[in-house]
Amino acid sequence: MKTPPEDHDLIRWMDGEMNEPERAAFEKRLETEPDLKVMVQSFEKVGTELRAQFPKERELPYADFFNSQIQVRMAQMEGEQEPATVAKASWMEMFRLPWLAAAAAIVVAMVAVLKPSAQMSSDVTQVLSTYAPNPDVVVRGYEDAEAQATVLMLDGLPDLPPDQKIVGYDVHGSRPDKAMASVTLLDEKGRPLVVLAKDSRDQPRLWDLHSRG
Amino acid sequence: MKTRVLPWLIAASLLIGLSETGAQTPAPAASGDKPPATDGQVWGALIYATDDAETIPDNGKTFPKEPADLEGRLRKVFDHKYLRIVGQHTQDILREYESWVVPSRDLFLKVDSNGPAAGGGIHLHLQFWQGEQVLVKSDAVLRADSPLFISGPKWRDGQLIFVLMLKAEH
Repeated sequence: MKTPPEDHDLIRWMDGEMNEPERAAFEKRLETEPDLKVMVQSFEKVGTELRAQFPKERELPYADFFNSQIQVRMAQMEGEQEPATVAKASWMEMFRLPWLAAAAAIVVAMVAVLKPSAQMSSDVTQVLSTYAPNPDVVVRGYEDAEAQATVLMLDGLPDLPPDQKIVGYDVHGSRPDKAMASVTLLDEKGRPLVVLAKDSRDQPRLWDLHSRG
Repeated sequence: MKTRVLPWLIAASLLIGLSETGAQTPAPAASGDKPPATDGQVWGALIYATDDAETIPDNGKTFPKEPADLEGRLRKVFDHKYLRIVGQHTQDILREYESWVVPSRDLFLKVDSNGPAAGGGIHLHLQFWQGEQVLVKSDAVLRADSPLFISGPKWRDGQLIFVLMLKAEH
């Protein structure tokens, strides 16, 4: 990680704010400091990718959804971090702000989710957006060309207890009951197997008719 | 609220179920109703992937021939020695109502149709549930024979995986 003075020079150089002697001195440093050059290249790459993914004339799909999620994450992170203010800072300097860096990371992550979808052909399943209510869960969506499948990878889920019994069903249809706001799941012979109803919090409840009935 | 409603639910369901058990045919709608409109049909399954055969539950099944080579495709993403189907559910995607794909009591999926997608497939809003918690919400275009794999929680020595696939023949 570069020290702040070096970051400052780098940012000023990238934003074209240096005068000629400063610029010449910095570019000389670029020739002699491979680490600095790598950092410049990585910043330029990120900037290019962001511009490519979000051209000015393109409307972001599900903008409200994304904006709301970014705002939620920013609000959460602001609560954890000390407030930081910056006035008339260059765009690269904004990466020093923890919350903005985090928001940028979220945008980049969303690009990673959206990018494969945008490039998918029309005959494969596409993930358009994802949201994990648990902030500890990170969702990655991508197409696995080799598997010919689309994957939603949920990282950070708590493990299930090893002694928990996982109950499987063999369901061949369902019968919605509008009056009861429930649905009865049926076995291969059309017999009731499980009743699913939602409680007052709109959460699903399952009633296994065979084991409890 | 829950304790008042659920006994009625069970009673009603049992009554309806008993009245239709004799027919021995799947009934897509309650008695007297015409079948609800659908946008397609999906197959959902809960898979257990592990390297330790001793952790496979007794009800774990091997893969059917259809969908073709699903086991091989899963193995390319989730590299485990054993893959077993814990439960499965074939479900119509209801046009007007939410649909539930419940291959397991523990992990299941709520599916809301947002209509046909341009170029084929269905726009869906998905909610992946573990018991009373939503693990992830997603908007997706599900296309025939192009499965969606959702990684679930780790369990015992392996991992639970949810598979959702739009059936082509519908």
